Amino acid sequence: MTLWIAFSLLTVLAALAVLVPLARAGRQAATAAALHDAEVYKSQLAEVERDLDRGLISQEAAQAARTEIARRLIAADREAQRSSGSEPIAPQGDAAGRTSRLRIVQAAALVVVPLGAVAAYVAFGSPDLPDQPLSARLEAPAQGRSLPELVARVERHLADNPEDGRGWDVVAPVYMRMGRPQDAAAAYARAIRLLGSNVQRETDRGEALVVANSGIVSAEAHAAFERAVAMDAQAVKPRFFLALALTQENRKDEAIAAWQSLLADAQGGEAWAEAVRIELAKLGVEAPQVAGEGVAGPSREQIEAAQDMSSGDRQQMIRSMVDGLDARLTADGGSAQEWMQLMRALDVLGERERLRQVIARAGEALKDDPAAAAGVRDLARELGEGS
Amino acid sequence: MIIEIGHFALILAFVLSVLQSVVPVWGAVKGDRRLMAVAPPVAGMQFLLVGIAFAALMQAYMVSDFSVLNVVENSHSAKPTLYKITGVWGNHEGSLLLWVLILVLFGALVAAFGRNIPMELKAATLGVQGWVTAAFLLFMLATSNPFLRLSPAPMEGNDLNPILQDVGLAIHPPLLYVGYVGFSIVFSFAIAALILGRVDAAWARWVRPWTLLAWMFLTLGIAMGSYWAYYELGWGGYWFWDPVENASFMPWLAGTALLHSAIVMEKRGALKVWTVLLAILTFSLSLLGTFLVRSGVLTSVHAFATDPARGTFILGILVLFIGGSLALYAWRAPMLKQGGLFAPISREGALVLNNLLLTVATASVLVGTLYPLVLEVLTGEKISVGPPFFNLTFGPLMIPLLMAIPFGPFLAWKRGDLAAVGQRLYVVAGLALVAILVSAWWHGTQQILAALGVGLAVWVICGAAAEILSRARFGDVGLSTGLARLAGLPRSAWGTAFGHAGMGLTLLGIVAVSAFQEEKVLTIRPGDSVEIADYTLNFSGLAHRTGPNYVDDVGHFDILRDGRQVAVADPAKRLYTARQMPTTEAGIVTFGLSQIYVSIGEVHADGGADIRLYHKPLVTLIWIGCLVMSFGGVLSLLDRRLRVGAPKPARRKVAAAGQGGD
Repeated sequence: MTLWIAFSLLTVLAALAVLVPLARAGRQAATAAALHDAEVYKSQLAEVERDLDRGLISQEAAQAARTEIARRLIAADREAQRSSGSEPIAPQGDAAGRTSRLRIVQAAALVVVPLGAVAAYVAFGSPDLPDQPLSARLEAPAQGRSLPELVARVERHLADNPEDGRGWDVVAPVYMRMGRPQDAAAAYARAIRLLGSNVQRETDRGEALVVANSGIVSAEAHAAFERAVAMDAQAVKPRFFLALALTQENRKDEAIAAWQSLLADAQGGEAWAEAVRIELAKLGVEAPQVAGEGVAGPSREQIEAAQDMSSGDRQQMIRSMVDGLDARLTADGGSAQEWMQLMRALDVLGERERLRQVIARAGEALKDDPAAAAGVRDLARELGEGS
Repeated sequence: MIIEIGHFALILAFVLSVLQSVVPVWGAVKGDRRLMAVAPPVAGMQFLLVGIAFAALMQAYMVSDFSVLNVVENSHSAKPTLYKITGVWGNHEGSLLLWVLILVLFGALVAAFGRNIPMELKAATLGVQGWVTAAFLLFMLATSNPFLRLSPAPMEGNDLNPILQDVGLAIHPPLLYVGYVGFSIVFSFAIAALILGRVDAAWARWVRPWTLLAWMFLTLGIAMGSYWAYYELGWGGYWFWDPVENASFMPWLAGTALLHSAIVMEKRGALKVWTVLLAILTFSLSLLGTFLVRSGVLTSVHAFATDPARGTFILGILVLFIGGSLALYAWRAPMLKQGGLFAPISREGALVLNNLLLTVATASVLVGTLYPLVLEVLTGEKISVGPPFFNLTFGPLMIPLLMAIPFGPFLAWKRGDLAAVGQRLYVVAGLALVAILVSAWWHGTQQILAALGVGLAVWVICGAAAEILSRARFGDVGLSTGLARLAGLPRSAWGTAFGHAGMGLTLLGIVAVSAFQEEKVLTIRPGDSVEIADYTLNFSGLAHRTGPNYVDDVGHFDILRDGRQVAVADPAKRLYTARQMPTTEAGIVTFGLSQIYVSIGEVHADGGADIRLYHKPLVTLIWIGCLVMSFGGVLSLLDRRLRVGAPKPARRKVAAAGQGGD
């Protein structure tokens, strides 16, 4: 509302800028152009005197110049006399034309200006969008804010308080989930420097480095995992990555030993155990199935095929598997766990739009099972698609 | 809400400018005083509205409002406040808004200070200014609207092009635009005179201050841009004959010619038709420059617009205004009354020579700038026209012009005596000869061309001084009267002297740098030292540094002379993180009028670096000369002569005649 009041004020001002002079101008006295000319010639005469004084021109030249300028001056004076006599304020013959011109311009000011401006504004403007200064957005209450907005707030806070270790600790996993592993690794490093090292932080930092390095365990990540294992020899995650490092370094026997020792600690049903079996399978070792139903992973043939592929082909294979799963779930329905597997896969592939559609479809398919639907909602929120 | 108010104000300004294009001109042609009276208030209102729009956009930049697309594309919340402000005009949309703001500013200035201008001329002038404003506002709203919004708004922007994040950018475009766009009002005066079919004797007198103002700012803008390129691009060059530079240089050349021909018109009533044409051409060249830079037909640092729709639109504006105004000129100019006659050897004659040479020089730059473009359009072949072309065409044209400069102010109007002037310039010629001999002796006879150049510069500078001294006539009237005469000289005489002396200083700088500079390109390791001119530079290594939105490698050089440390230089290689774009920050140290210039190229893993090292003698004179020239413009502008009082109505003529003096 205030906005439209401001618009009206501006429009009224604009219209007045046209209307007021229209109404008042008749009274002004005229100065004929010839009078201006006369003024110029007079100062030219003065200039001649100055030049003469400087010795730039001779006495005769000055006299000639004076004569020439005086002639023009007289002509201009005569012109001024004539025009001031023949140009009354409103010549009678043109009175009708004057009135109609006045009406046309008044109408334009009153109609064209407001209508034109409002019509163009409605076409181009966004009257419903408020201003959104960054500082206000960062200070607004957290409820109902999107994840990027919340992260920006934390970032702003950390830029001002770089020594706030808790802040870095909080933002690091969020970076991971947003697909910014580089930032996550840096945040973990700061948290470690400020709050001290522990198994969790070292492991998470290492993981972030691995993800940032497209899955390769770098020397830096390796060191982080080793520090974690030094603090807790039983920790599963750092051991997993160390085993992965051995695999990547092609130290086959050591890798198999490391994987098997990990598997020995499995209670059954852990998601990572499945991954370990896959890794072992890649190394050519058939691992015993541990208890727990588990969702069927890719078959051994598929894994072997995947190993020989380029990363582009591998991406392609993953996509075709995702598409297959999606088609099956859409057609025949499936368990909450299968829906969630699909959601995770889409999250990893970065297909946000499709992910949103799948979440909606999963909600629809599982609406008779409140617990399963809640699980899907939780995961959706975790993936940054909570509503 | 502020943003939307700015948007609405811009649209309202467009609607008003359409009205302004029609009503006052109609009134002027019909002799209807009421319609003419609309022009000044509407001009003021337009300035207010565009000012609101500009302030709204600047506010959006200041608070990092990323719901505005233009802010997202060109700003970043971590950017220093200064660059948030300058970022407003560091992009296509914002710079157009600045362009239009200056356009309406000049309209408002004429409305406010042009009380002594005859009503018809003022109304028609503001009406024509309205045409230009309407065309550019339509262009903005249709293709380059800075107020487009985004919802939902992103949390961070893309940052400003790092090369543009520099104090130079804060000053360069506004100065340049005041110059460029300032010529629009001169153009409007010319078109108004053609529409009314009459050029008053006082026309030149009203036009000259505006020309001077625009010319001064253009001079400063070009100088600033040149210095900015010098220290930011890392090549040590101050002028590249780059099409974008030429785009601003052509209106300057034509504007300089206009400035001089307007004097002839004002003093002698001659060259009327020619001056009107020059006024049209000068602004046409400004428009051409805007087209070249804004349409993206050139690919260089400045060309940040690369949208064919925009290019076509601006080309349309260009064709409409240049074609239209020249057609109007062809039709109406024969009706204008010609002015006084003069002999070839006279002040008028000298100014005609100046105009002739400047116009041909403008044409040569125009050919060099447009030829590659035309060739590319016609044959698809890409060529570049570089310094050799301009040195062969532009250079030779400047030599007679510079040689003639000291003669001009000494010549009398209408009929001059060249021999007498020559006698007065004997001493100056002697000084120039001494300068040539000293320079040749110092640098050896193989640098004879450079020595002649130095002589030419001294000739121009001393000629300007001699003219002022001759006006004082110390020899005839003694010291004290002479000083009094000097103080009593019209400021425009001082303006002429400073303007010409500034030209000489710039020339001296250019000659010295081109002929006597030393250059070294080498790879340097920490602990190495390198000698240039009389200086020794010790390189102590590179340090890593983090700025607000960049990281850089800073090299440190101690500069020694005769074994004593006299200065340090810290050139840097900088990486702007948001766009991952590297820039060079040259290390420049000034000794007197000369400079040592170091810039870092490739950085090696062992801590060494490739560097370019220059000693540039008298290089600062290039820009100091431009400042002096502009100062001359200021003096001229302050001349009381230009402030002609409004004439008294005819009945009080007798009283008016009494005070008709200076």
